[in-house]
Amino acid sequence: MRMRSVALAAALLMIMSVLAGCSSDDSGSSETTAAPTETTAASGGETKTITVGFTTSQTGKYNESSTRQVDGFTLWMDQVNAAGGIKLDDGTTYMIESKTYDDESSSDRVQELYTDLATKDNADFLISPYSSGLTAAAAVVSEQYGKVMITTGAASDATYQQGFTKVYQIYTPASRYLTSSIDLLASLDANAKKLAFVYENSKFSTGVVEAAKTYAEENGYDIVMFEGYDPETTDFNPFINKIEAASPDAVLGGGHFQDGSTLAKQLYEKNVPVKFISLLVAPPEPAFAELGDAAMEVAGPSQWEPLVQYTEDAANALGMDWFGTTGDEFTTTYTEAFGDAPSYHSAGGYAAGLVLQHAIESAQSIDPDAVATALDATNVVTFFGPLKFDTTAESHGLQVGHDMVVIQWQPGSDEPLAKQIVWPEAGQTAAPMYPRG
Amino acid sequence: MMDFLKRTVGLWIPLLVVAGIAAYPLITGSDSNREAMFSILLAIALASSLNILLGYTGYVSFGHIVFFGIGGYAGLYVMTVLGWNIWFAVLLGATVAGLIAYLLGSAILRLRGGYFALATIGVNEAMRALTGNIDALGGPIGMDVNFSLYKPFGGPGGMLQFVFWSVVALTVLVIIISFVVKKSKFGLGLQAIREDEDAAEDMGVVAPRAKTWAYVLSAIIPGALGVLFFFKNGHIEPGEAFRLALSIEMIVWVMLGGIGTVLGPVVGAGLYQETRKLLLTNAYLKNIQLAVAGALLLAIVLFVPAGIVGWLRSRNARLRKVLE
Repeated sequence: MRMRSVALAAALLMIMSVLAGCSSDDSGSSETTAAPTETTAASGGETKTITVGFTTSQTGKYNESSTRQVDGFTLWMDQVNAAGGIKLDDGTTYMIESKTYDDESSSDRVQELYTDLATKDNADFLISPYSSGLTAAAAVVSEQYGKVMITTGAASDATYQQGFTKVYQIYTPASRYLTSSIDLLASLDANAKKLAFVYENSKFSTGVVEAAKTYAEENGYDIVMFEGYDPETTDFNPFINKIEAASPDAVLGGGHFQDGSTLAKQLYEKNVPVKFISLLVAPPEPAFAELGDAAMEVAGPSQWEPLVQYTEDAANALGMDWFGTTGDEFTTTYTEAFGDAPSYHSAGGYAAGLVLQHAIESAQSIDPDAVATALDATNVVTFFGPLKFDTTAESHGLQVGHDMVVIQWQPGSDEPLAKQIVWPEAGQTAAPMYPRG
Repeated sequence: MMDFLKRTVGLWIPLLVVAGIAAYPLITGSDSNREAMFSILLAIALASSLNILLGYTGYVSFGHIVFFGIGGYAGLYVMTVLGWNIWFAVLLGATVAGLIAYLLGSAILRLRGGYFALATIGVNEAMRALTGNIDALGGPIGMDVNFSLYKPFGGPGGMLQFVFWSVVALTVLVIIISFVVKKSKFGLGLQAIREDEDAAEDMGVVAPRAKTWAYVLSAIIPGALGVLFFFKNGHIEPGEAFRLALSIEMIVWVMLGGIGTVLGPVVGAGLYQETRKLLLTNAYLKNIQLAVAGALLLAIVLFVPAGIVGWLRSRNARLRKVLE
């Protein structure tokens, strides 16, 4: 092979990845952030600025989810600034400023960029990148500089079991993603004991199903199938044949949007007689409804849904504090600002800001140690749900307060399909449809 | 003495460049600069390793990152599961990468040209699928480095310093290897293979053996670098360890600087990484940084195909003597 053609081949591959990066960039870009309207500080006190640093996956495979996460955070920041900043009792007012770089959805430069954020940009607080892998790399740096890092979009449990002391997780960890689906099944049918797990071979989904399998076995379930598929799988027939042979009561698993919706579609086409299906990530996405009849009665766990109504009254009834905006307000203002309904990634980004604000207000300081102490003591209900962090040395910062809801697609009143919350019972917007078909 | 200096001037120039890069964060005392220089040194060491195979032997390895990933996996496994010391882990990473290159090389170096390039991509993809299915290596979840492993270095700060200086040392080592190979009879054999493999064999070069050793030499340092990188990164998973895009970037670094030269990969990797960083962090260009990098690359490939060092060498006879 002549060297010039090698060079051209390499260049072409680069250009192709550039184009791929650009096209995915378009889908999620939303520059229309509401500008802070009034920034006049409260009279008397001093006005200072807090810098919050994070990387965004402006290019690469995490672009879509990461952009939504950052949009959510930006909305929180703009609202706080518009309301005149975070005010402490000593009269100091803190305005929020953010600083971000593109991490290209890869861990190559994550540590370099977080070091820049921590040292050059003097970020006071950090927010994690999207995804557990990148967050693990960023956590090493945040810990080195003693910065508090709120993680969102990073569900893997392992990151919080490495001995970090100032890393705090917003999401329900991966180990509890599918357990609520199992609880739901148990409440519906005490005789449905045979489960089949079909899942994507990726860091996230494998972590989820392994924990769910253990949970199911502890609760007396019989695992009749436990099989992973390649992330690029488009033909699920071999798996569906195995499912039919194992005749389970329920199918649990999936992975991300593409594979999950294909799996749901092919399960429907093959008319597989299972009573309950719960899949990761894909069902909560509004686009899942495009599957039509194949989406009907498919359930899935979600970190947050616009329909979820955590209220101040409910929080007070539980003896917990309420903080921040309501779910409806968040959905409305987010849709106004970005022209698109929020997903749970957006809500996670907003909640990350909210938790930080709550901790600063409780600590009455922006000192990292004081804020970390306040985060350790956090036990609050927000529009995103209850939030509380593990304070043991083994899994410090792991989210223990927040729970997943389970959604299910059901016949709607106006449109053919509507997403309903079917679990937990207290938050139900409709009764679960069971068994399927 | 003068004679020795004269004969090795092609070695001292790249070493001086590396020394300058290593000293920069020391002089400025900035952690941020250290991290930036870390990315550059890592790229230089990877590019110089690849150059032994790509530049001297003329065999294009599109999946060379496989050795970086293999080293990372081997090193993290023995450190996190078996509790090995980092020195032994780095040695093991290099050894495993070298060994696998030897075994692979014996098989796929029988292929020539484009067929070899395709096979290397296949090897990388196969390795990614394989590690994703080995439970001991964490399967698709990968492995995490417990924070307590940074304690012996005095916390993450000391660890970051340690990894930085280790990468400096490895970069120096790979440049020396690159220079020695180029000047040796073995290197001459490799270059003969590059020009015409059949003619080289007629002249007495045992091509399969020479090619295999070139492959092994180009795999050892990436293996060691993988251990250091993923230890510092705190986490390894198949998608990150065997990232094909990085393989392609490696080729770009070598081509940009000047293929088959000792200084070329140093210049190419350094300039490319620095430009990318500038674009990434520039307020105006950061949204189109990939497009700008791609356009720059295309321009260089079209107008300066021999790379920067190759172009300088072709322009001036005196430069030809000092730039290797």
